[in-house]
Amino acid sequence: MSAGPPPYGALLDAVRGVRWPAARRVTGATLGAHPSQLRGNSSEFSEFRLYRQGDDPRRVDWRLLARSDRAYVRLTTDRATFRTSMLVDASASMAFPLPGMAKWRLARDLAIGLASVAHAEADPVGLTVAGEAPGVLAPRARRSVLLEMMRLLDATSPGGATPLAPLVSSARASRLVIITDLLGDRDELLAAARLRVASRDELIVVHVIAEEELEPPVSSLLAVDPEQPALRRILDGALRTEYKERFSRWLDETAAAVRAAGVRYVRAPTSEAAPHLVRRIAGETARRGA
Amino acid sequence: MTFLAPWAFAIAGIAAAGMVLLHLVARSRPAAYVLPTTRFIPDRRTLVSRAATRPRDLLLLALRVLLLLSAGAAFARPVRTPARGAIARVLLLDRSSSVANARDAVARARAIASDGVPTTVIAFDTTARVLTMPAWDSLSAASVAPWEGAGSLSAALVAARRAAGALAARADSVQLVVVSPIEARALDAATLRIRAQWPGAVRIERVALRADSSARWRLERVLSPDDPLGPAVIAQLSAGAGKVTRLSRSAATAADSAFARAGGTVVHWDSTSAVRARAEGLAAGEDVVVASLGRTTVPLHGRVLARWADGTAAAVERRLDAGCVRDVGIAVPAGGDIALHPAFQRIVRTLLAPCGQMAPEQASRADSAAVSLLVGTTRSAAPGAALRSDTNRYSPLATWLLALALLLAITEMTVRRRATAEGA
Repeated sequence: MSAGPPPYGALLDAVRGVRWPAARRVTGATLGAHPSQLRGNSSEFSEFRLYRQGDDPRRVDWRLLARSDRAYVRLTTDRATFRTSMLVDASASMAFPLPGMAKWRLARDLAIGLASVAHAEADPVGLTVAGEAPGVLAPRARRSVLLEMMRLLDATSPGGATPLAPLVSSARASRLVIITDLLGDRDELLAAARLRVASRDELIVVHVIAEEELEPPVSSLLAVDPEQPALRRILDGALRTEYKERFSRWLDETAAAVRAAGVRYVRAPTSEAAPHLVRRIAGETARRGA
Repeated sequence: MTFLAPWAFAIAGIAAAGMVLLHLVARSRPAAYVLPTTRFIPDRRTLVSRAATRPRDLLLLALRVLLLLSAGAAFARPVRTPARGAIARVLLLDRSSSVANARDAVARARAIASDGVPTTVIAFDTTARVLTMPAWDSLSAASVAPWEGAGSLSAALVAARRAAGALAARADSVQLVVVSPIEARALDAATLRIRAQWPGAVRIERVALRADSSARWRLERVLSPDDPLGPAVIAQLSAGAGKVTRLSRSAATAADSAFARAGGTVVHWDSTSAVRARAEGLAAGEDVVVASLGRTTVPLHGRVLARWADGTAAAVERRLDAGCVRDVGIAVPAGGDIALHPAFQRIVRTLLAPCGQMAPEQASRADSAAVSLLVGTTRSAAPGAALRSDTNRYSPLATWLLALALLLAITEMTVRRRATAEGA
């Protein structure tokens, strides 16, 4: 990897202006851009509600009391920040296809793109890289966090087979984006994700798939699993069709399993541009939130 | 050079071609390709096949092809092919007792064989024997001695078929010549079937049947008028001037022995001993008589000419230098008409015939139909290709070729292991 910052300028320009609202009301107290579960003293009027014992008398709308002879309190919508973190799979299977490593580049761009979108809404953003040497950046809202994320990702070379499930459990964010190819500890990851979803966290799995995985080369080849070098199998014309059927079936099963766990599933083929994917992920969230 | 089993070499050639094709189809592991989704590939094969324009492992291929060809050549049994002439001949020379004049027969055979055609001479009587050159040269001398036993054309034809197999390797066709009177007794049930095995014509040079001159012998002594054997003996009397048979009705004398040594035939048929006649069965050749006869003792050694019904000898013949002495133990009773019985008269004729001769009634020529069948319908000699019996020939090269194949197999195994080790 190069020492300088990666060329993310075009990506950042492409995703500028994209909004990425939370899928549900957030619980944060810090003033932010996402609708909060709390109703308080902000100026954004929401509704009137009959006064109940224990309500703050200062929130009673006296004009309405005078007109209706009933006590109503004035409710407003609070907005809060949403702690967002990216968990990027940096196992050996992400370094594919060689030499371009399209899967890794897409995962890296998605992480930066989504982080920039979240950061633009004043959300604290963090990054966890699940590689041979795990790197963690806690969610922060300061201006330099994106640059730190870029440096961390740029310094990472995919390798090894680090399990994602422990990192899912330990991530300190209310919105966790897992960018992975799901070829590692898929079932453990989903188990950990269910727990996070149960605690009202928002989880998104971005499933990175290389075009070469969907359509492997036509010529006969000895396929070697990068995470299990002992796993070697011949792939030629006769077996290619069966491979594609198996892989397609696995993709469908995986998508269903992820969704069944209450996690958003976004398939991200390497043929699709990262800005487009960022817009799709953020846009779908916006629609869901609406 | 030719192959006794060329099909084996053809099979080896096909196998060698198949081996080249196998070497053109390369089965190997393709280049490694890192694929994270390898787990979704069915685990079925570890090698792939692909066609190549040039065979791989040229050294192994050469060793294997040579191995197959040498083994195939060994099983094909290569032999050297001698120079082949146009025709060869098998000459069957009858030396049985049916030949009237052996000297004439030999002369006829020599005349036939004198045309320069390679000839294998087989002398036959009851058995057949290939005459080598010295025996053939001395055959004229041997022919002076009386030939014994009846001939068997079946045995002769079988021997001729065997000899022709060897001759056919040196000739395009083989001629079969039979010098024989073709006596009827020389043909048996198998003769014509064996003849059918000969794929060509049979040339028959018929010589005189010994029976033609069998009348030329006479009895030296006439019996007394009251001898019960008289009617049977008188029926055999002839005025010929050939060999002499002396019939002795009393004890043998030194003069009889001297007569026999000089080449005569002495029939000692003693009538002095008084024996009691009873119902007996007597057989000589194909003639059988059941009558009231008496038994007298005959020597145990010698050739049996007649037997009683229980198998004991009734008449025996002993060789004595150039002649023979016959002892007959058949006592003919004074009363009765057995001496007039035709079958008994034929038995008497057999017993009185000169040494080595048979009764003329038994020696008859084979009929013309049988001879025609022997000659066959074709006029050509048997083609050599149909006679060659190459399957039993020994091929000295086959052993060396097998040894070469074994050596190549060991070398191939060594080279293959080395290549496998280097590949691993």
